[in-house]
Amino acid sequence: MQAVTRYLRSLMLLELLRGLSVTLRYFFRPKFTVRYPEEKTPKSNRFRGLHALRRYPNGEERCIACKLCEAVCPALAITIESTQREDGTRRTTRYDIDLFKCIYCGFCEESCPVDSIVETDIHEFHMEQRSESIVTKPQLLAIGDRFEAQIAANRERDAAYR
Amino acid sequence: MSEIRSYTMNFGPQHPAAHGVLRLVLELDGETVVRADPHIGLLHRATEKLAESKPFNQTIGYMDRLDYMSMMCNEHAYVRAIEQLLGIEPPVRAQYIRTLYDEITRISNHLLWIGSNGLDLGAMTLFLYAFREREMIMDMYEAASGARMHATYYRPGGVYRDLPDRMPRYRESPWTKGKDLQRRNEWREGSLLDFIEAFATDFPSRVDEYETLLTDNRIWKQRTVNIGVVPPERALQLGFTGPMLRGSGVEWDLRKMQPYAMYEHVDFDVPVGAHGDCYDRYLVRVEELRQSARIILQCVDWLRANPGHVMLKNFKVIPPTREEMKDDMEALIHHFKLFTEGYCVPRGETYAAVEAPKGEFGCYLVSDGANKPFRAHFRAPGFAHLSAMDEMVQGHMLADVVAVIGSMDIVFGEIDR
Amino acid sequence: MSARPEAVVETVRIEVDGIALEVPKNSMIIEATDRAGIDIPRFCYHPKLSIAANCRMCLVDVEKAPKPLPACATPVMDGMKVYTRSRRAIDAQHGVMEFLLINHPLDCPICDQGGECELQDLAMGYGRSVSRFTERKRVVQDKNVGPLIQTDMTRCIHCTRCIRFLEEIAGTSEMGGVGRGDRLEIGTCIERSIDSELSGNIIDLCPVGALTNKPFRYSARAWELTARPSAAMHDGLGSSLYYHVRGGQVMRAVPREDEATNEAWLADRDRYSHFGLYAGDRVRVPHVRDDGEWREATWDEAMARAAGALRAVVSEHGGEALGVLMSPSAANEEYFLAQKLARALGCGNIDHRLRELDFTDDPARPCVPQFAMPIAQMEAADAVLLVGSNVRHEAPILGHRVRKAWRAGATVSAVNPLDWDFHFDLAHKLIVAPQRLVDELAAIASALASDGGAAVPDALAERVGAAQPDAVHRAIAEQLRQSDKGLVLLGHMAQGHFLASWIRQLSGWIAAASGAALNVLAHGGNSVGAWLAGAVPHRGPAGAAVAPGLNARAMLAEPRRGYLLWGFEPDFDTANPALAHSALAGAEHVVAVASFATSSIADVAEVILPLAPWPETEGSMVNVDGAWSELHPAGRLTGEARPGWKILRRLGAELGLEGFGQIDIGDVRREMPTEPQPEFKPISVAALPPPPAAAGLYRAGEVPAFSLDPLCRRADALQETAHAQSAFVALHPDDAGRLGCEQGDAVNVSQDGAMVSLPLRVSTRVPAGTAWVRSATCATRVLGDGSGPIAVEAG
Repeated sequence: MQAVTRYLRSLMLLELLRGLSVTLRYFFRPKFTVRYPEEKTPKSNRFRGLHALRRYPNGEERCIACKLCEAVCPALAITIESTQREDGTRRTTRYDIDLFKCIYCGFCEESCPVDSIVETDIHEFHMEQRSESIVTKPQLLAIGDRFEAQIAANRERDAAYR
Repeated sequence: MSEIRSYTMNFGPQHPAAHGVLRLVLELDGETVVRADPHIGLLHRATEKLAESKPFNQTIGYMDRLDYMSMMCNEHAYVRAIEQLLGIEPPVRAQYIRTLYDEITRISNHLLWIGSNGLDLGAMTLFLYAFREREMIMDMYEAASGARMHATYYRPGGVYRDLPDRMPRYRESPWTKGKDLQRRNEWREGSLLDFIEAFATDFPSRVDEYETLLTDNRIWKQRTVNIGVVPPERALQLGFTGPMLRGSGVEWDLRKMQPYAMYEHVDFDVPVGAHGDCYDRYLVRVEELRQSARIILQCVDWLRANPGHVMLKNFKVIPPTREEMKDDMEALIHHFKLFTEGYCVPRGETYAAVEAPKGEFGCYLVSDGANKPFRAHFRAPGFAHLSAMDEMVQGHMLADVVAVIGSMDIVFGEIDR
Repeated sequence: MSARPEAVVETVRIEVDGIALEVPKNSMIIEATDRAGIDIPRFCYHPKLSIAANCRMCLVDVEKAPKPLPACATPVMDGMKVYTRSRRAIDAQHGVMEFLLINHPLDCPICDQGGECELQDLAMGYGRSVSRFTERKRVVQDKNVGPLIQTDMTRCIHCTRCIRFLEEIAGTSEMGGVGRGDRLEIGTCIERSIDSELSGNIIDLCPVGALTNKPFRYSARAWELTARPSAAMHDGLGSSLYYHVRGGQVMRAVPREDEATNEAWLADRDRYSHFGLYAGDRVRVPHVRDDGEWREATWDEAMARAAGALRAVVSEHGGEALGVLMSPSAANEEYFLAQKLARALGCGNIDHRLRELDFTDDPARPCVPQFAMPIAQMEAADAVLLVGSNVRHEAPILGHRVRKAWRAGATVSAVNPLDWDFHFDLAHKLIVAPQRLVDELAAIASALASDGGAAVPDALAERVGAAQPDAVHRAIAEQLRQSDKGLVLLGHMAQGHFLASWIRQLSGWIAAASGAALNVLAHGGNSVGAWLAGAVPHRGPAGAAVAPGLNARAMLAEPRRGYLLWGFEPDFDTANPALAHSALAGAEHVVAVASFATSSIADVAEVILPLAPWPETEGSMVNVDGAWSELHPAGRLTGEARPGWKILRRLGAELGLEGFGQIDIGDVRREMPTEPQPEFKPISVAALPPPPAAAGLYRAGEVPAFSLDPLCRRADALQETAHAQSAFVALHPDDAGRLGCEQGDAVNVSQDGAMVSLPLRVSTRVPAGTAWVRSATCATRVLGDGSGPIAVEAG
């Protein structure tokens, strides 16, 4: 008897119809997707994206070439050369990050004793040539200058947790 | 009738159902598989050797990239191994956060599995639904760690940062405003824990939807029932773990058998299959989705009630906070040394395993007292599962190979390492 | 003083952390634990320095002692039980570390010591995690102590290692402490530079970043550097060192412990000379000259030109028309292949003794002129006679050994043309004009001969017989004779003397007659290797008999048609730069193989082949003890420079000569002799030429310590030191008075028709009849012999 019922029920394609009803319901529901790039999904202030080098409010670069970030970088993506600047301070002459080597682990930012190297929440960046993957010190400083307000706000909000 | 000769065919490494870079050499007799020979190594990145060349902490980020579907579980095994060698115990709150995120990771992994396995076997819709939920899990990862996948969040001695008290919200746009915006931000008004709670409360109903689409579906059952049957004894012999073992009816779950983190203190059930076929493994995973949501809710409750430290205060291993580092000589020295040289781990060896979504993910570490492992080995569950490929698909049709690969839930990041 | 009695080692039994140890009686706890491999933290203790016990970091818990005791200053006693990790010891360590860090600035990120800092390491290992100090930290003003050492005195933790080093080892006492408690400041008291020739060692000794390497400042981190073992190539000792290399570039040098030569120290010259490697005039690619214009060329082209030039000289004028002049600091393989090449071309004119003037006794010299008393044993000498030697600057490590001997009670005497400032006291000194050195030595020999009765060889007999020894001569002779371990040390001034063969023969006889050892220190880093490899005109490899050629002096005095110059600058590295210039300028073909191209090479050569200098090349050397070391390249080759042996191999092949098909340097080494031939015997000289009448002023043409070779001269930091000041002529007050000149006047110094104007210094350190005009300096490179007659007139 049971076998007969099952057979009849299967002829009615009940389970398939139930499945279709799920998809049909979604047909009338509001969309989950967003209209990227006009609309964007929210992003955490902890997001680890493109790197930047920051400056002090007086315009002096923060980086003191201590090379902690270079040492802690698991992917060896950071290359620093340092020297004594004319005023006697310790400064970098070269600060390159290879964005293709970088694994965006955030250790560089954790290690920086002067909050110089940071990973901003910028994730939309691209290169047109292979060599552009290496961002240099002037480029990093420029990113830092341009997004300083955002960088500072994100760090401020997270200060209690770090 | 002319004689049909068996012939050899390459399945992958560019096949969409090969889940990454599996190259499967199939010997076919017509459409029946005579022999399957999986080739591995196309995603080999020498993670173990890398780990042996870097201070302990620097390898955490590489753990994410082993089984890149269950990132934090891999980290968990690794940091637990280090903690065992160091003889330190992270604070309870950190352990709860780890439990919470292990389960979030499990959901994330199973969602991807159910979506892609469905896609492999012809169920397109589910893929979209699973990814919708996965998107929220990515947000949870991002809110806590700053990365949507490769978190680098667990550290020996705890987790890097406490959970934030604010979830990022959708902004108003010409297409999303007013009620639409409110609906989108409904779960995001409070803290991360609120968001997780809302998600976990809602999630079982989503699982119901998945089940409506698949569990009784005749096509799904035709593709999975009695395919790739592994008897329980054989599953044990082959070194199966996780849903692969439980699908064969062996009740084995490290969270119950060798409890770690806070699994002793949370309530959950371990689903077990009966036949050991692809369908049973599917059922086990679906039930695990529900159980994970259950654990998550318990963790959220505890975490809400018990604020506190998420990292040990032991500067010999754990870097000081930024504030301490900036005006305390001792703290600065420890910061400097920990970020350049790392910490030295006492001589010894250890094995730490966690119940990762795919099975037992283990980390075997030998330390010679230096600041990097003398030997690191990672036990990837997928490796044992893939080894059974030949046995599981012999005599099946070519199309069933896809079903078997799918039900193994293999990821080459961990197999090739 | 007689030799110290053999110490019978008595031992006592102690227990450290439960481990039973048997240690020599009267040793300190820390010596016992160091030997047993038990770690005790320390800052002020250093095995080579005296015990100060002022850092208190090594406090350990000793059973029955009421307080923790410093392990570095507590002698072991039988049955003593020591605990290094007991509660009390750990508390003491925590306490000391907390006090040390109270005033330490938060400089780690900008401090060069970061990563190799003992304070950091011990703070990690033995200190607290958090500071309880919230008050203001003290600040100490930095001192400027010269171009070699950077100070950051706020970081100083007052371990006094630098003070003790300069006092005990360097013997200059240039640093001290002022004030007490937290106002104690370490410094030079009055702000002045630290001029010790061993000053760089206080950088290594400083456990924190208070004293760091100034030219290296901020350029690299310890963890970026790869240490490559090598040896210093400036003074023939071959001091063991590590070059620290980053990306193929040599960044700094630190000592490598080697009890046989440099112990734990390194001379400033060896430590800082590598900064000259990347000087602007480094030859990076081969150069050829077309119609007077220099241009870069490929190796193929330059090699063809070089081979063509040599072939032209030999085919047109015969092998004797060629002269091969080599730097005294080249590698054995280079000497060997160069002499092989020269002799295959029928040319016996090869020499490396560019700074020497008198070669008369060449046949009588030993096959390998190595030290009779090895470096390590010199500190046990009980009587030392220095002859024409400013040992302190010629070979600072050797000077340190002499000082050690003096500290142990040895008497040191000197027969010198200048009254140099030594870091040991001279028991007797004979400071005489250069031309009188021979007479003084003859007088000492005469004293020895008359008292002891040993027979003086014929060649010396007349001179010794005529000498009139006085009390000082007799005293020196007596000291040498009385000593068990006497030493006669000939230095650069003796070797470069215009009567060097007299000095060598007399000193040799004095040493033999008094039972002392004779140590002859030649110029350059590998002179011993050059003798052994056959880069001398009168002997082949290992002393093999060859048709004698012209020596370095004769090659220039009797100009050749063609020259091959190897790794030196004619106007700085020869005894007579004026003569060198005229000989080279008159030659038809000059092929230069050089690391640095100066005008003196560019003016005369037609091809310059880039030679890899020491830290970048591979090769072996033999030090003054006769010890071989095979050195591997430390830095990456700069530009297209190539190791010397490869250049010679290619040159030999290009000239179509046999035996230049070596695949690697091992092939060259297998060909080379390592020991003198057993049948080799020096031939004693029958007669030495009579010395010229000693009238008028003679030049003491000392080579400044930091102008010794092309590499040193390009090390900017060394050239900024006080030792590098060189443009002067110094005269005895009597001589100055005769000229009617005073200190600071410009006077005209002339030699062989060339004249320069130099400021005058009047000093009693210069004996009458002597003009102290340094060699190897920019101002004096037009002058003639470094040792010989010179005229000084009021300007």
